[in-house]
Amino acid sequence: MEAYFSKEVVLRTHGLSKKFGKRWAAKDLNLEVYRGDVFCFLGPNGAGKSTTIRMILTLLTPSAGSIEIFGMDLHKHRRAVLSQVCGIVEKPDFYLYLSAYKNLEILGSMTRRVQKEEIMEALEVVGLTSRAFEKVKTFSHGMKQRLGIAQALFTKPQLIILDEPTTGLDPQGMKEVRGLIKELASERGMTIFLSSHLLSEVELVATRMAVINRGELIAQGFVSELLDKEPMEYSIQVSPLDSAVELLGKLTWVKLLSAEDGKIELRVEPGHASELNRFLVSNDIEVLSFYPHRTLEDFFLKITEGTSEI
Amino acid sequence: MKLFRFETYKIFSRWRTYISFGFIALIVTMTEVVMKLSANEILYRMMRSFQKDFLIFGNVLNGWFITAFVMNSLHIHIPFFITLVAGDIVSSEATSGTVRLLLIRPPSRSKIITAKYLTTLFYTTGLVIFLGLICITLGLLLFGNGDLIMNYQTKFRIVFIPQAEVPLRMLLAFTAAVWSMTVVASLAFLFSTLAENSIGPIIGTMAVVIVFLVVGNFPFDFFRMLSPYLFTTYMVFWQRFLDNPIPWQEIAKSAIILGLHNIGLFLIAFVVFDRKDITS
Repeated sequence: MEAYFSKEVVLRTHGLSKKFGKRWAAKDLNLEVYRGDVFCFLGPNGAGKSTTIRMILTLLTPSAGSIEIFGMDLHKHRRAVLSQVCGIVEKPDFYLYLSAYKNLEILGSMTRRVQKEEIMEALEVVGLTSRAFEKVKTFSHGMKQRLGIAQALFTKPQLIILDEPTTGLDPQGMKEVRGLIKELASERGMTIFLSSHLLSEVELVATRMAVINRGELIAQGFVSELLDKEPMEYSIQVSPLDSAVELLGKLTWVKLLSAEDGKIELRVEPGHASELNRFLVSNDIEVLSFYPHRTLEDFFLKITEGTSEI
Repeated sequence: MKLFRFETYKIFSRWRTYISFGFIALIVTMTEVVMKLSANEILYRMMRSFQKDFLIFGNVLNGWFITAFVMNSLHIHIPFFITLVAGDIVSSEATSGTVRLLLIRPPSRSKIITAKYLTTLFYTTGLVIFLGLICITLGLLLFGNGDLIMNYQTKFRIVFIPQAEVPLRMLLAFTAAVWSMTVVASLAFLFSTLAENSIGPIIGTMAVVIVFLVVGNFPFDFFRMLSPYLFTTYMVFWQRFLDNPIPWQEIAKSAIILGLHNIGLFLIAFVVFDRKDITS
């Protein structure tokens, strides 16, 4: 997995910290985001995700530490850095009394000169062409979220920072936004840094992740690597059941948990998940369903065990 | 310049910006129509105090006199209209959350706050010019032209300005009025950078203006002592351009004091905005 990603660091923080009164909202964060990453910043509410994102986007001044983007110090080269970065913090708030088009024109022109065609193209990508000249106050939350992504598109940033981009969206909206995030990364080569408390989202879109709790970094790395460190549980429906139980019992990397009603619950050691299905099929066992129990939530609970009340 | 253009576009895209223009048009029209209908009564009251000593011919109740009268009456109302926009221009970005979109763009905070301040001054200037234009146009239409006779009752004297000289005097007076009102705008602007909603800055500015006006006009020695330290004392310096001779020294002093207020208030707003942590 790692081989597909560049080692060029797009965003790096050194000992990044922010203190509000006596409370550290973020403490000594050392993050690294590589070019092409869909990097997910995961943590429970109040963990310090938004504070960190706000520091990266210059909305908050760090109490300590530094931020480097594209190899440049953010505070020394603010203009040069931010002209290549686009962000949405918390929710995409626009000027409600202006049209979608005018919002994009104003916000985009603060980065560079924009053409009408570029704005319309961005609106087309997010499916808002027909509403381009309507006031944003008539838009649903999902439409505003898509408009937020549209403004990210036409300014052609190299790094997009999204703070909980699917919050408040219905399932269809979530799916659309996730699709757009994937598309921005894979087809347009943009690096995405997003925070989320929706754990399933990380599995669906992220390539690398960092886990934060109470302002401190707990883990950082490739999603697949971090998850593969833990055994994974599966429910499988197979036929014939007895033969399958007998065969699986011989495997050292599988631990049977239960077998009843045509369904087997089992735990698989890290790195063997893909072998399981292949092994069963090659031994003439019909696999009717294959359902992983392990979620990022399990991982998250485990990794923050003892340090957080989620 | 681009930021200034966008800020101007934004404020003129909101209906609340036009409330001020609408109300001014309404108040001035109503005042001047009522004055036209009560012309004889007004004329009688005007002339009562000095008709024993002077013989006055011509159109005394003319458009210029009406303009000076309306300006005198509205110098408390205009600040309120100014605060509607000046008190809102920064705080509304926090209320609506757009401040987060704005401040993560390449232009620096100092450029953004300067553009907003210039827009506030532009709006203030526009509003006072609008007041002047509507007063004079309607005044001249309803009451005609003539020499300007000002009766300064508190100073027990009458000032006579020939018709040919009045337009220039009015231009200077309105320029001074713009200058005065920019202090109100600067104060509201400062409050706007401190707040995250528009109500606070609007009410706060009006409270300061009203308290200062009241304190500055109390006829007691203690309050008279305070008067030179209140910016509202200098805000009526536009009236001095309708005096004879024009007291240039007094005007310069007032203009400088108000200018220093503008600079001070803007600098505080600038520093506050530049260092502000955006947590909303």
